[in-house]
Amino acid sequence: MIKKTSDKATGDAEQAKGFSIPQTAPLIIFLLAMVIFFSVTSEYFLDIENFKNILVALAVTGIVCVPGTFLMIAGHVDLSVGSAAAVSGMLLAQTVNDRGIAVGLAACLVFGLVLGVINGFFVTIVGVNSLITTLGGLATLYGVALLAGNGQTVMMFGFEWLGTAQPFSIPLPILIFAGLAVIGIITLRRTSYGRSLYAIGANPNAARVVGIRSNRILFITFVLSSVSAALAGAVLASQLSAGDPNAAKGLELEVVTAIVLGGASLAGGRGTLLGTVLGLIVIQVLNNGLILLDIPSFWQRIAQGILLIAAVSFDQIRQKIVSQKG
Amino acid sequence: MGKDLVQLRNIHKSYSGVEVLHGVDLDLGSGEVLALLGENGAGKSTLVKILAGDIPPSSGTISIDGTELARLDVYQARQLGIRMIFQELNDAPTLTVAENIFLGQWPGSGGMVAWSEMEKKAKEILDRLQVNIPVDAIAGSLRVGERQLLEIARALTQNAKVLVLDEPTAALSSVEVDRLFTVMDQLKSQGVGMIYITHRLDEVARVADRVQVLRDGDSVLTVKNSEIDRTALVTAMLGKEAEKNARPSAVKTSKPALKLNGLSSRNDYSNVSLTVNEGEVVCLFGKIGSGTAEILESIFSLRPVTGGSIEIFGENFTPKSPAASAEFGIGYLPADRQRLGSFGIRSVAENLAVTCWKKMSTLGFVSQLKEVQAFERWAAALRISSRSGSTQEIATLSGGNQQKVLLARWFEANVRVLLLVEPTRGVDVGARRDIYEIIRRQAKESNMAVLVATSDYEEVVLLADRALVMARGKIVSELTGDSVDAKTLVSASS
Repeated sequence: MIKKTSDKATGDAEQAKGFSIPQTAPLIIFLLAMVIFFSVTSEYFLDIENFKNILVALAVTGIVCVPGTFLMIAGHVDLSVGSAAAVSGMLLAQTVNDRGIAVGLAACLVFGLVLGVINGFFVTIVGVNSLITTLGGLATLYGVALLAGNGQTVMMFGFEWLGTAQPFSIPLPILIFAGLAVIGIITLRRTSYGRSLYAIGANPNAARVVGIRSNRILFITFVLSSVSAALAGAVLASQLSAGDPNAAKGLELEVVTAIVLGGASLAGGRGTLLGTVLGLIVIQVLNNGLILLDIPSFWQRIAQGILLIAAVSFDQIRQKIVSQKG
Repeated sequence: MGKDLVQLRNIHKSYSGVEVLHGVDLDLGSGEVLALLGENGAGKSTLVKILAGDIPPSSGTISIDGTELARLDVYQARQLGIRMIFQELNDAPTLTVAENIFLGQWPGSGGMVAWSEMEKKAKEILDRLQVNIPVDAIAGSLRVGERQLLEIARALTQNAKVLVLDEPTAALSSVEVDRLFTVMDQLKSQGVGMIYITHRLDEVARVADRVQVLRDGDSVLTVKNSEIDRTALVTAMLGKEAEKNARPSAVKTSKPALKLNGLSSRNDYSNVSLTVNEGEVVCLFGKIGSGTAEILESIFSLRPVTGGSIEIFGENFTPKSPAASAEFGIGYLPADRQRLGSFGIRSVAENLAVTCWKKMSTLGFVSQLKEVQAFERWAAALRISSRSGSTQEIATLSGGNQQKVLLARWFEANVRVLLLVEPTRGVDVGARRDIYEIIRRQAKESNMAVLVATSDYEEVVLLADRALVMARGKIVSELTGDSVDAKTLVSASS
């Protein structure tokens, strides 16, 4: 039996306090450093409107991150979300123009449900690895999104409010994301569904043997993931007043980066939504700062890729140090 | 049949000051099969590891082929033709039979494998063993017994003179065992000397020319095949102290809780009928692979049932899924705690509450307070020591404490039938007695029926109200009261 002597904070402190301090401390320091740096180098950074921009930009990704974090905690991943959001946007634009907003939103919801059922079916019933299943989905659905508009953007008329309304002068996408995040946090911590996700991720075999209906739970989570992607696609289309097949390109990368930055383990069993939110903020502040500094947007992608690898490396190194102490 | 192939004299071995071998001699002639018997910890593995050059002896001499060696390392042992065959397979299941036979030493030149030459040579070796397996078959598609023969074939490619087989039949069916013995006869006639480690007494008489018994690091008995006496062997293996354990007082109950009627599952076990009463602890004792654990797996829906029926409190029960079994009031504790039992990186409180989240929630919200309270209640009752209380990661606890948490998981769920597989594996001796007492007390207090599958006779003596002995998938005898003792158990199961 391995006896660890000094590592009591990593496991369930994170559960009790939302996220563990040793794990997220470097991220917070990095965030503060960025804030200070961008405040000094750009006069537009420290501004309430700019912060709103940052939050709006992260809201769309954030919506997908909520069930995305669920999946990662259970040891799975959904890479089809970016393309799913694109298809949803195209679908919305076309149906809103032809049949109105209600039908458009209903179509997005149905699309999300159907896609989730397909992903869930392949992962839990057929038994295909979730990475492969959803990678296939990513490719297929991107093709579908291009087909839907013949490769072109489809303009949408009369449905801007979902993406741009500002009740209480807070942009609606932020409210949607905040609401989902709160529900998500409670679900993870306080429902048997949420607790089961941790158990499945920590040890899928044991989860079965204690009588957790793992397949059912994973199935539901894949459906939630696809529905959230459909919703994100709708919000995005509403912001743009158009369905753009390339609008959500790379969303899956941003989602995974945020979740991993936030401390969820790729192997499952660990992670919190508050951590993911912190990860989202780090990514968006970085993107925003780079834009304000007039750095070409290609660099955002490069920075994000480096950030992802840095986050995972950091986690690996931390785990090695922890196990050496034992 | 000369005695000159292997000669170990006065071998001592100590690990950090504790001597585990106290001057053991061992002789092996060419074309001879020596069966090495002994309970776990008797020193068999240490002795053969010394012969394989794995570990150096503290003192003593090793002679191979009449030459005394100053030292013997793994490389040298291989050069001398000493080969070990372990119980676990060490093959590459996705490669072909021929590739596996020459694993890592594929014939060819310049980094290119000469396939036709390899397959031809592989066929020669298999023919020599009189084994009929196609050389281009994928190893993973073969039966376990056939794969074991491949391991032997691989040893032969390097001209083995001495073959050490460490419990090779543990995972084999009786047909496969016969086949292995035929191969061993072949090797014998070719002059290979073999050391055969086993627990199964019936195999000894069939295969061995001589038997040597180790107990607590001493060689206590060496006899020729013609002089093998079963009782004498068992006594030699167990020694005197096996009789010391006092039996717990029996529980008198008569209301059946769990009933199996002629239950069967393919080749794992067949036609098993048994009854466990309320509040009673029944042990299924048998070697690993004899079907004990497999029966429990079937009841918890982890292994298909192919015949017979299960009754729980008079109700017919058909296993559907582990979740359904748990909902029916059945609990199951697997032998492999790390892989199937615990959620290593999660807290002890969570590991305990995992079966009871539904019970602990109001309007769908799990009460973390109840979770912590449940842990604290059981921690006190079962004396679980966890340094940082309910938040400690379970993997950081000792084996005994982990096992108590996993037991409490089912106690808290109020199961009516509890199935335990090897409940004290990897648990230190002190905590074992604790766990036995906990299981017995809990069974009595909550009228729970407990069925235990174990290969540890001492466990049966200390834990069981009643014992059922299994061998090769069948119940072979039932022991109650004071007739449950180590010698009877070992003798009946062999």
